[in-house]
Amino acid sequence: MAPKSSATGKERTTIEEEDVLQAIILADSFNKRFSPLTQLKPRCLLPVCNAPLLDWTFESLALAGVQEIFVVCRSHAELVKAAIKNSKWSKPSTGLKIVPIVTAKETFSPGDAMRDIYTHGIITSDFVLVTGDLVSSVRIDEVVRVHRERRKTNKDAIMTMVVKESGARHRTRSRAESAVFVVDPKTSECLYYEAVMGYPPKKYANIPREILNEHPEVEIRNDLIDCSIDVCSVEVPSLFQDNFDYGDLRRDFVHGVLTSDLLMKNIHCYIAKDGYAARVKDTRSYDAISKDILSRWTFPLVPDDNHPGGHSYEHIRGNKYIAKDNTVALSRTCKIGNNTLIGSQCLISDNAQIFSSVLGQRCTIGAGSVIRNSYLFDEVVVGPNCTIEYSILAAGVHVKDGSRIEKGCLIADGVVIGPQARLKPFERLSRRLLETKHDDELEEDGGEEDEDEDGDEDDEESEDDEESEMDSDYEEIEANQDPEALKRLGPDNNAIIWPQPSINEDEEIDEVEHPTNLRLMRLGDDTSDLYLSDAGSETSESDSDDDDHFDDSDPSSSVTSLPLADTSNLVQQADEAAFIEFQHEVELSLDRAFAEGHSVDNASVELKTLRMAHNVPLRRVREAVVAAIVNQIKIVEGGGPAQRQEIAVVVSRWGALIDKIGGVDATETIEVLQECCASSERLPLFGQILAALYQEDVVEEDDIRAWHKKPQSCGEDQKPATLQNNFKKCWNAGAFMIKQFDEQESDEESDEEDTATSAPSTRTTTTTQRESSEESDEEAEESEEDEVGSDEASENESE
Amino acid sequence: MATDPESAAGQRIVEHLAARLRRRQVVGSRETALETVLVLRQVVSKARFSNIDQLVDTIRSVGRKLVEAQPKEYTVGNTVRKVLHHIREEYHTATRGAAAPFPSKPTFSIAKFVSQGQPRKQTASQRTSHETRGVLRENDADDPDAFARALKPVFMEAIQDVLDELETVYDNVSKVAKDHIHSDEIILTIGNSSTVEAFLKAAASHRKYTVIVADTAPSYSGREMAQSLSTSGITTVLVPDSSVYALMSRINKVVLGAHAILANGGMFAVTGSLLAATAARAHSTPVVVCSGQFKLTPQWNLYHEYGALDFADPSGVLGFEEGDLVDKVDVVNPYYDYVRPEMIDAYITNDGDHPPSSVYRLIKEAYDDEDYEL
Repeated sequence: MAPKSSATGKERTTIEEEDVLQAIILADSFNKRFSPLTQLKPRCLLPVCNAPLLDWTFESLALAGVQEIFVVCRSHAELVKAAIKNSKWSKPSTGLKIVPIVTAKETFSPGDAMRDIYTHGIITSDFVLVTGDLVSSVRIDEVVRVHRERRKTNKDAIMTMVVKESGARHRTRSRAESAVFVVDPKTSECLYYEAVMGYPPKKYANIPREILNEHPEVEIRNDLIDCSIDVCSVEVPSLFQDNFDYGDLRRDFVHGVLTSDLLMKNIHCYIAKDGYAARVKDTRSYDAISKDILSRWTFPLVPDDNHPGGHSYEHIRGNKYIAKDNTVALSRTCKIGNNTLIGSQCLISDNAQIFSSVLGQRCTIGAGSVIRNSYLFDEVVVGPNCTIEYSILAAGVHVKDGSRIEKGCLIADGVVIGPQARLKPFERLSRRLLETKHDDELEEDGGEEDEDEDGDEDDEESEDDEESEMDSDYEEIEANQDPEALKRLGPDNNAIIWPQPSINEDEEIDEVEHPTNLRLMRLGDDTSDLYLSDAGSETSESDSDDDDHFDDSDPSSSVTSLPLADTSNLVQQADEAAFIEFQHEVELSLDRAFAEGHSVDNASVELKTLRMAHNVPLRRVREAVVAAIVNQIKIVEGGGPAQRQEIAVVVSRWGALIDKIGGVDATETIEVLQECCASSERLPLFGQILAALYQEDVVEEDDIRAWHKKPQSCGEDQKPATLQNNFKKCWNAGAFMIKQFDEQESDEESDEEDTATSAPSTRTTTTTQRESSEESDEEAEESEEDEVGSDEASENESE
Repeated sequence: MATDPESAAGQRIVEHLAARLRRRQVVGSRETALETVLVLRQVVSKARFSNIDQLVDTIRSVGRKLVEAQPKEYTVGNTVRKVLHHIREEYHTATRGAAAPFPSKPTFSIAKFVSQGQPRKQTASQRTSHETRGVLRENDADDPDAFARALKPVFMEAIQDVLDELETVYDNVSKVAKDHIHSDEIILTIGNSSTVEAFLKAAASHRKYTVIVADTAPSYSGREMAQSLSTSGITTVLVPDSSVYALMSRINKVVLGAHAILANGGMFAVTGSLLAATAARAHSTPVVVCSGQFKLTPQWNLYHEYGALDFADPSGVLGFEEGDLVDKVDVVNPYYDYVRPEMIDAYITNDGDHPPSSVYRLIKEAYDDEDYEL
């Protein structure tokens, strides 16, 4: 039993022991996604479910036990200040101290606002930084506690971002602006942040390798809703001051801090599982958050209980909320659909239908009108038989009978659209303001904006001053109205149509504000016509090496896309694929070389680069080269000398290449030759080729002997029988050659001086032997003997 | 009232509690009741009044503010009414002097009740400004505080009585436990009511029996109850809500907790109670509700108001991560059930056992008629 309420004199028992918990609200969003609704009113004062957005933010902060709030305003600062003064939050009983701060007119981004805060010097300790459009029920005080705990041990943890887990396709998660968070699950430190725009669709994120080196376990997440709730340490504003180009909080500041080498600071994430938090960033999220509030996802901030605006609503089955003070007049035949909120003193006439919409106070809906998924602010009058879909109608809008408002329309304050108006989808209207032109004041291009002084003159002047707050090209818009289009809005209208954002190639705009990306943020736009990367996109599997070459070699590339083999097989298969790929390349290269008569050096350089590029072992290169050379040799019918000639030509031209591929291993060369011949039609040529190689000094006698000694050279372990036979044949040819070597040596040793005579004699004997046995069946052996003999003979005599 | 600093401080305390109630930072019948009593004690101790009506108005306005802040927590209003009742009683005792007090409750008779209404009304009409106790001066122009000074200690005592009653609820309810539960019985309970917990634990020291606890999704508070009961040595079985009907044939008694007891004898209880009560009715199993008397509410649920069920956020039922479904499905998560008086057999309170049909009488005794609408 806590005697908390018996604390005498104290306004509120402090939750933290030390200082007062401060918060900063950046009330300006620094973009124009809600125009023309925000022409005369700042976005933070737009009502969501009949309470101003700023009130929702105050409520969220009050839930967290914040005691001092600084509201940083830029546009329409006077209105914000007035609203704060009049709201219930300024009463002392709430225990909140709210201080509005007006920044200079030159602040164009949150970064500038932070720099402004730094110069003001109001921050004394860790503070909570939020934006003025936050709706949340997350216990921020819990986050602050965690942050402070962490700060005690780690002085480099400068910020804790609060993010909410959600599905990838959740309606509240913005598809236009999301981010990839790389988080260490144990310490919840954010290791890398990369912003992802919805359009153009992005498929790859680049994560620096050092992160994976330092942290063995990381989570890469794209399913988080970034609520822009940050618990910052006192150093954060000074970091903004140091880096003048930091504009956006996430894309610049967080990204910069995390990728900086000098600044050894950490940013942590707090992934909120309980509680709801989201920002009204654009019209789509306005819609999503309103629906979330009506479906009670934001409990305990719900319309019938703890409404920030102080209204009381009655909760009826089907998430319908009707104001409780008995002032709502619903006709007997009207239909109120689910997820609807109706403010006090509304009048709904016969046969009207309202589905999933929010009606402000004192609205009147005419007979037979249909309102679907729309948001009507206070005092909207809708005539009979109108249809309004997926639109936002600001205060005081008057829609006369028979009109049709298509999806995505934004209609600003006080617009009247005449009977039978027809609005196109995504049209934006605002009231025609410049009745008479005051040339002097209109020529300011948004230069002087001192709204404070001039605000209290007569109406026209105050209108002009409000204009000076507006876009500098507002006058241009108004001047360039198409009268035909305006006719479409009905005879009584007083509106102007705002042009759609166009894609201007010359202008450099922030990627987020790209018009197609903006479409993702629009209310009612289902963007099914845009090609966007799917939320659950498939991952690519093969290494990047193969990507380049896949266009040419389709049959070989099919090997790589086997996803189900286990890793060892995968490696093998990848190697195989690489080799086949490489072989193909070598063939092409050598074909080129042969055809164009490149020098051996050039060809060898090419081969070397190919080897490096495909990362194949040397043996493979050798195989490829030998195979290419062998295949180059034309098979001459009838064999014999002509064949030998042919071989000699090729081998003399290209034999040296075999040794120039990066490593000399003659034994391997012979093996490779054997393999190659054994499985090709050039089997009979094996001996001849071998002799030719010997001739060219590519292979030495020792190498032949070494090859011969090897067990696998006699083909014992070759599986197919024919292959085995072929291997055997090659082996026998080799055997014969060796025999000849032996004989030669013995001869040489014995008669050094008789080389000239004895050699030929032995050679002639061999040649006679050769000639005689030429016709015999065992062609292979003979032809090998043939070749061997001919080699030796060709040195001395020409036949 | 007076705008002096004391009442301003009092207002601050009230606002503080109202804010906390609104944000649901203080939940639960007993919690809210205790907080309310403490606030009222503060308010009364600081209040300045020269006659009883002023004090009553002050307390009423405080009560109204608190009730508006959180209309679903009925014990706030109940406590305010109780305090008012005690204060009036003390006042009447003081003004009538040492005269015999109105007949105590046990000799209550319906005939008298019907003809004369609340007994106290008789004595009220006899009140005059100057009574036997000459000390008590009301509306004294010279010394406006005399009245307050004289009676404040008495009022503070009265409020202390209310506080004591709140603090001893569990003990008093548990006193009769062994009479209600017999050996080898199988009892069914749901949710995590501390009153029921104390009741069952008290019985366990005298009898050996089994308790079946239902999960009570989506809050799963049944699990804590099962945990706590089993650590004190009671044989406990935890079952999912869906098997309540199936097991009912084996159950001897159903013991439930209540959030608020309404004037017609019905009650608001944690969601799942209606399921258990209906199943029990089908098997003619007795349903018994343990609660303190501070939960008696002079309100009715004649129209079975939907909103009274206090719908919490849907994330307990369908997680927020189910992004796709959130758009296409309406999810409701009521926190309370309304159980009709016909389904309940007895209320075991800290002040005796009563059937639902005599709840109206209890309410008449506990609160004053004029306080029903704060």
